[in-house]
Amino acid sequence: MRESQFQEPNRFFLNMGPQHPSTHGVLLVVLEMDGEYVLDPQPVLGFIHRMHEKMGESRPCQGFMPNTARMDYVCALPYNHGYVSLIERKAGIEVPKRAEYIRVITSELNRVASHLLWLGAYLLDLGAFTPILYGFDDREHILDILEDVTGSRLTYCYYRFGGVYRDIDDKFVEATRAFIKRLRKRYDIYEKLVTKNIIFIKRAENIGIISPDMAIRYGITGPNLRGSGIAYDIRKNEPYSVYPEFDFEVPVGERGDCLDRYMVRVREMEQSLRIVEQALDTLPDGPVRSKVPKKIKLAPGDCNFAVEAARGELSYYLVGDGTSVPYRLKIRVPSYSNLSCLPELGEGILLPDLVSIMGSLDLVIPEIDR
Amino acid sequence: MEIISTLPPELIRMVFAVIIIISFIFLNAIMMGYLERKIAGHVQRRPGPMEVGSHGILQLVVDGVKLVGKELLVPVNVDRTLFRLGPILSFTPVILPLLVIPFSEKLQARDLNLGLLFIVSMTSINVMAILVAGWGSNNKYSMFGAMRAVAQSIAYEIPILLSMLAVVLMANTFSLKEIVGAQQKIWFILLQPLAFIIYIISGVAETNRAPFDLPEAESELTAGFHTEYSGMGFSLFFLGEYTNMFTVASVATVLFLGGWHGPTLPYGEYLGIVWFFLKVYFLLFFMIMIRWTYPRVRFDQLLNFAWKYLVPFSLVNILITAVVIKL
Amino acid sequence: MMGTYEDFKTNVMNLGGDVTETDFHQRGYHLEVVLTVDTVRKFAQTAYDHGFYLVFVTGIHVLPETVEGVKTSGLEMVYQFATFDRLCRVKARVSVPEDMTVPSICHIYQGANWHERETRDFYGIRFSDHPNLEPLLLCEEDKDFHPLLKEEKKLKSFEEVSWPAQRPDMVDIQTETSSDL
Repeated sequence: MRESQFQEPNRFFLNMGPQHPSTHGVLLVVLEMDGEYVLDPQPVLGFIHRMHEKMGESRPCQGFMPNTARMDYVCALPYNHGYVSLIERKAGIEVPKRAEYIRVITSELNRVASHLLWLGAYLLDLGAFTPILYGFDDREHILDILEDVTGSRLTYCYYRFGGVYRDIDDKFVEATRAFIKRLRKRYDIYEKLVTKNIIFIKRAENIGIISPDMAIRYGITGPNLRGSGIAYDIRKNEPYSVYPEFDFEVPVGERGDCLDRYMVRVREMEQSLRIVEQALDTLPDGPVRSKVPKKIKLAPGDCNFAVEAARGELSYYLVGDGTSVPYRLKIRVPSYSNLSCLPELGEGILLPDLVSIMGSLDLVIPEIDR
Repeated sequence: MEIISTLPPELIRMVFAVIIIISFIFLNAIMMGYLERKIAGHVQRRPGPMEVGSHGILQLVVDGVKLVGKELLVPVNVDRTLFRLGPILSFTPVILPLLVIPFSEKLQARDLNLGLLFIVSMTSINVMAILVAGWGSNNKYSMFGAMRAVAQSIAYEIPILLSMLAVVLMANTFSLKEIVGAQQKIWFILLQPLAFIIYIISGVAETNRAPFDLPEAESELTAGFHTEYSGMGFSLFFLGEYTNMFTVASVATVLFLGGWHGPTLPYGEYLGIVWFFLKVYFLLFFMIMIRWTYPRVRFDQLLNFAWKYLVPFSLVNILITAVVIKL
Repeated sequence: MMGTYEDFKTNVMNLGGDVTETDFHQRGYHLEVVLTVDTVRKFAQTAYDHGFYLVFVTGIHVLPETVEGVKTSGLEMVYQFATFDRLCRVKARVSVPEDMTVPSICHIYQGANWHERETRDFYGIRFSDHPNLEPLLLCEEDKDFHPLLKEEKKLKSFEEVSWPAQRPDMVDIQTETSSDL
């Protein structure tokens, strides 16, 4: 039990979570309050801690693949991507070009699905019930497309060291193109229903301002950082896979408030669609999986691989010892750092604003707890 | 039979009226529940309830049976008296306003000459119920909901009264029947558009409906004042809410939309109720649509809106009305 | 104060850090800095001044050795920094002394607060001047249980898990394959 740092009699604690609709998972935030004003929100983590890092250190590196999808289950493919790229970098495995294209296409589709889900969930936090069903409607198409090729709908284990599990077919290409067309038509609906909604703007504008300095101090990355006007995207700044071959922009905001973070994510969806379109247009032929030894030896030494997940920078840091079992596997998840700024961001604001801020940070709790 | 004939006919009339109104309240809640879910479904591009009966028309009946059959859970540390009192307080006063509402020229339980004031005073008891429920629940979230409800109710009762006053000034009476009578030629919505808008906005706030559903605010306060309630306790709050909505819409119809007036029907003095209900349910439909479209406002925004915009505008409106009438 | 890449390197060297440039395609970071407990805070301040953000803080458990008569704890702290302005990822390494205490950097990087609490959970490393070194991911009851400490027989010496220093044959093969990616 936390002791109050204030001596005034009117202060009290409010437990927000672990079963609160706005924490999006089993997260507890202990709020020290004065009336409806939040003085000190302190997140309490670890309710669904599974010690993925230990699991990574206790089995051959192939065995950890399914775990990667169980951290951020909303946007699992970039997690797959980071891990396979890490092992490929460490073991010097070549990846066929077509496989890299397929990875980019599926990762970006997954990112769009994640942003759609976030959009709905954020509006649900603000008390609007309808956008989440629109978001789910569109997201469902992506899940169907990905299910056809990966075999699962949420916790993908699609990428393999040296390629992907199986090739995409014409049906996938057609369905993806149809989906891109569909989503572009739906922008209007979202704009009318949400973006131009006066109540929504009033609830998101000038709330939870993240300054660039704050982003540096807390290591905030992803759309939350780009909302503050810093165009930092691992796909651009630290190019991996075949991202340099595509033409896309990194949308940024100006003030760094909730509305900017919202706008950045909405505009990012369009950029992801552009990447998918270009990748489909220039999809090279060839194999989708290279020959990889059954037992992958991880040479001594450490190695890092960073990818841009839907929520920010995802870094895998591996220390090899010459066997196929990683000696140390550290997973740096974006939401962990993004959430850590909450005590500073949520000081002296109203409870509804705290809900708005937490929604705009796009938290996925299993990713934070790992 | 002899006993009945010895009773004053007015008493028998009232007893009948109350019985009819109570049964109507339940019917209205079932219809509203069904309408709400169906409209929400269509707004969200899904069919809504489809399983029980044709197009799910019996869904709410089944839900009602389920709610009645559920255990009344009383948490350990609550104030038992207040906790039980809350739902009853929420449900009982909602019957009374319906007694003075003229559904048609002849369908009115009792025409009070201060009918409008009677309605206002009865509907404001609802906030007591929320306060009692929130306080008695011994839960911080419920307490928040109760506090919000009180502040919200005080803030929005003023613009409601002021917008009503504008109509009263024009009709020169507080009796609802006479107000409707005064709209024989032209509905007051055309003469008092600003008052109508203010009334509808405040009415939505008064009934704690989204986007002003701060006392429940699911995503902030879990469910606010009724977090701890289950079964019938919970459903009494809902009965209260839907009946309050009906009352607000009925008063709007009486004050602004010409009550039972409409194209002439046979037995017009009775069948005017058809027009009355059409208008009421149109307003309710409008309120439901708003709920499923807008996010929730923040508490300070809600109060700012009432004190900074609605109250001054309604005061100006009254002033102008008074001056124009005097001239 | 923002400076160039060279400035940063010089500043870090000036405060006593051992800086090595590494092959990015092979390791995923550009600079490796070896620090001591005395220079950790100064290094963090320099990094902050140059606009670096904290990527993560973690530990590695290796076989304790005896250096100059002093037995080490066998724990290594790893810090990673990167910057928004250019492509530069820095790994900093600190040997944890026998008393298991490392200076906390969370007064410079507030984000390190949670990372350090997590490291305390997993390895039992303590951070001096940390405002609130309570269990974060693990529960209160597991305060003395550190899951990432390895069993004695699984421990490897630090040399066994680091890049072979200057063994050109090995490095060449690695770079050749990975640069094609």
